[in-house]
Amino acid sequence: MKLILSDKYLDITLNNDDIKIIDLSSLKIHNCTGCFGCWTKTPGKCVIRDDATKVYPYIAKSDRVIYVSRIKYGGYDTVMKTMLERAIPIQTAFIRLHKGETHHIQRDVALKKAIIIAYGNISDEEKDVFKSLIKRNSYNMNFESYKIIFANESEIEEVVKKEVNKWEK
Amino acid sequence: MGKVMILNASPRAVKSNSKCYAQIFSKYCKIDAEYFNVSKTNHNELCEKIEQFSDILFVFPLYADSIPVTLLNFLKTLETKPQTKKPVISVIINCGFIEPQQNDIAIKIISIFCKQNGYTLGSVLKIGSGEAILQTPFKFLVELKIKKFSSSIVKRKYRVFQTTMPLSKKMFIKASTKYWTDYGKRNGVTKEQMMTMEIED
Ligand SMILES: Cc1cc2nc3c(=O)[nH]c(=O)nc-3n(C[C@H](O)[C@H](O)[C@H](O)COP(=O)(O)O)c2cc1C
Repeated sequence: MKLILSDKYLDITLNNDDIKIIDLSSLKIHNCTGCFGCWTKTPGKCVIRDDATKVYPYIAKSDRVIYVSRIKYGGYDTVMKTMLERAIPIQTAFIRLHKGETHHIQRDVALKKAIIIAYGNISDEEKDVFKSLIKRNSYNMNFESYKIIFANESEIEEVVKKEVNKWEK
Repeated sequence: MGKVMILNASPRAVKSNSKCYAQIFSKYCKIDAEYFNVSKTNHNELCEKIEQFSDILFVFPLYADSIPVTLLNFLKTLETKPQTKKPVISVIINCGFIEPQQNDIAIKIISIFCKQNGYTLGSVLKIGSGEAILQTPFKFLVELKIKKFSSSIVKRKYRVFQTTMPLSKKMFIKASTKYWTDYGKRNGVTKEQMMTMEIED
């Protein structure tokens, strides 16, 4: 399974059932309330039964992902960040040692090759912070490898198509 | 004489660890401090009060290696309301993992907000093992650091502090496994159930 998770609508048609495109801007996703229900009450399921519950199973299953997000202050902007916070049901509460640091044990989550397409008006300092953020994310989000592409908003579809073509080879 | 506006930006502010850290801060802070929760709907109200304060103290948890959306959205509102008198922004951040450095990127994000909007970043306290430390004998370590942290704000000698449980990672993992197992038990959920590999259905 492959996933394209975007914070805006992408005008792309794919003839490949193995690739799922999710436009987060078209979904209703509440903020995580930090209740830890997904770890300690209904393990593996968020207690907020909105559209996020349809997204994190795809994040878990996919071994290749493309995340498309606007950048704010060197991190993900609200739409993507809201979804990433709501994705913690795919981890367990329990902690292990991973790359010399403490991190959560994942549930049935595929190891991922990730591509992060970051767009917006991004300064060099923000780029550096974003790169270190993705490095940290890679430990917590089961990325085996990742690539970051900084792009203009107008070229995103082009960039996504190029990366998908590489998948299909 | 300065005055501190404490803003709790935990998504579960009312029942948060951040609230406890803020209370400890208020206890030690030698100048006036007023406490507020950041909610989805009170951004404007909070922004209108900001000019009455010499310092802002954001208290919040690390969420997905970064600042929680609750805080991100508040900063985005604050950005649209330029203040003529800008308080110095200090931070108490806590994370679940034992390494306080896991908070570093969230701090950089705050520092970029400050730079882009003309605020000065003041003192920073990074707490590791922040989910559980207040319920352990190591609470005194947090108290000590918050005391020093608050005095740095009062004296305007801004600094970076950090603290965590003084345990080996192996011991921390053992302790956290017990913490979460007990948490589940209180909900009638066993450790095996909590360990399920299944996600949704
Ligand atoms: C959605 C979510 C994401 C989290 N992400 C991280 C993380 O990336 N690293 C970490 O060490 N702790 C993480 N935590 C743990 C919290 O930082 C920790 O439980 C903290 O004590 C919560 O503080 P609060 O009670 O003030 O909200 C996360 C918790 C939640 C609910």
